[in-house]
Amino acid sequence: MSEQHEETHFGYRKVAKDQKADLVRGVFDSVASRYDLMNDLMSFGVHRLWKRFAVELSGVHAGQRVLDLASGTGDLADRFSGLVGPEGLVVMTDINANMLVTGRDRMLDHGHAGNIGYAQVNAEQLPFPDNSFDCITIGFGLRNVTDKQKALNAMYAALRPGGRALVLEFSKPVVKPLEKLYDLYSFTLLPKIGKLVTHDEDSYRYLAESIRMHPDQETLRGMMEEAGFENCDYHNLTGGIVAIHRGFKL
Amino acid sequence: MSTRDLALATLESSINALLRLDPFARRKLARYHGRVIGIHLRGPEITLYFVPDQQGELQLLGSIEGEPDALLSGSPLDLLRSGDREQGSQQLFNGRVSISGDTGLAHDFGATLAGLDIDWEEQLSRFTGDIIAHQLGNAARRTAGWTRDTGARLESDLAEYLVEEARLLPHPLEVEDFNAGVDALREATDRLEARLRLLRQRLEGQAQ
Repeated sequence: MSEQHEETHFGYRKVAKDQKADLVRGVFDSVASRYDLMNDLMSFGVHRLWKRFAVELSGVHAGQRVLDLASGTGDLADRFSGLVGPEGLVVMTDINANMLVTGRDRMLDHGHAGNIGYAQVNAEQLPFPDNSFDCITIGFGLRNVTDKQKALNAMYAALRPGGRALVLEFSKPVVKPLEKLYDLYSFTLLPKIGKLVTHDEDSYRYLAESIRMHPDQETLRGMMEEAGFENCDYHNLTGGIVAIHRGFKL
Repeated sequence: MSTRDLALATLESSINALLRLDPFARRKLARYHGRVIGIHLRGPEITLYFVPDQQGELQLLGSIEGEPDALLSGSPLDLLRSGDREQGSQQLFNGRVSISGDTGLAHDFGATLAGLDIDWEEQLSRFTGDIIAHQLGNAARRTAGWTRDTGARLESDLAEYLVEEARLLPHPLEVEDFNAGVDALREATDRLEARLRLLRQRLEGQAQ
């Protein structure tokens, strides 16, 4: 195996594949406690609208089983827990224990319990039987995964036939002037905000860089098809700054 | 994603802010955790879907796949009135508000929602634009005003009819006259009673 295959991107840096998970964990350990505040600042609160739209595209309803990967503080899982009703199940996961604990505390504070399970999970190696979920979502998490294709394959396997996967992720702006403005914002302003709020400029620089390294809309759709998903489509939100990819297991 | 999502998010947080102040309403809604209640507004032709969570707070969706568990449909005005205890069943029976699916769920939900103090005109304007919402609001206000005025006018017209036209009821002056007559009669009988008592005393005095 050549050296190329053993390296992966960590933002713009190249690091050994087996190091990336630890490095990503470090980033999120550092931001966990103020993650929500930071998301609001970074996206001017629009991330809540992106997530609402993702929930609508999920078609999740009472009695279903939903797996939310890279849940973070659980914005998506929180809504799913309301939708699946007492008979349904939402499994909230994150690779980062700090993040998961913060998310679980938030769920309990909201009085959301009874139909939620928690698991510290690496999205590439899902510890669930095949065909066990009606819907699998990963919101702003796929770009932090070392082997994205492997994660998509694992998601496909864990889905029930008829189920669907949703990938909500930063993507490539489709409007040129917006792209310039967005670059200026994310490389100059964003790390400064990060420094002010979480006292961690590097973590937010990583976030900005990792967004640029993430596959664009068409590439990611190709990767989903490669994993076996059918009827794949994507919706550009806010001029393509964010895209929601959706694929079905038929 | 569009301004529609923003409108949904805003309406959702307004409703939930009010629900947080109303534990009774939330407890009622929490029983319907995960059930989908659709509200179809005729006129603007908007359907909103409400899903209560385990705490009785609501999630609003602009679209769902499949059918809601219950669907309430009517003009915004009729739906608002359907929450009213007195007018509610009337709205239902005269066909202005229709319910399909789980009627118990729809009725409970409609009553709970209508019981919240929400500026629906303001909220609807986010979906329909200010002008339509204002017209709807005006229509609601006009109808409420009309009912009040008509009620008062009807009352006086009815009284006049019964007294002057049908002569089923006496005029106030006749009643006054009648009352005065009753008073005079009562006083006369009192006097007669006193004179009888006096006469009896005299007769008893002569007999001794």
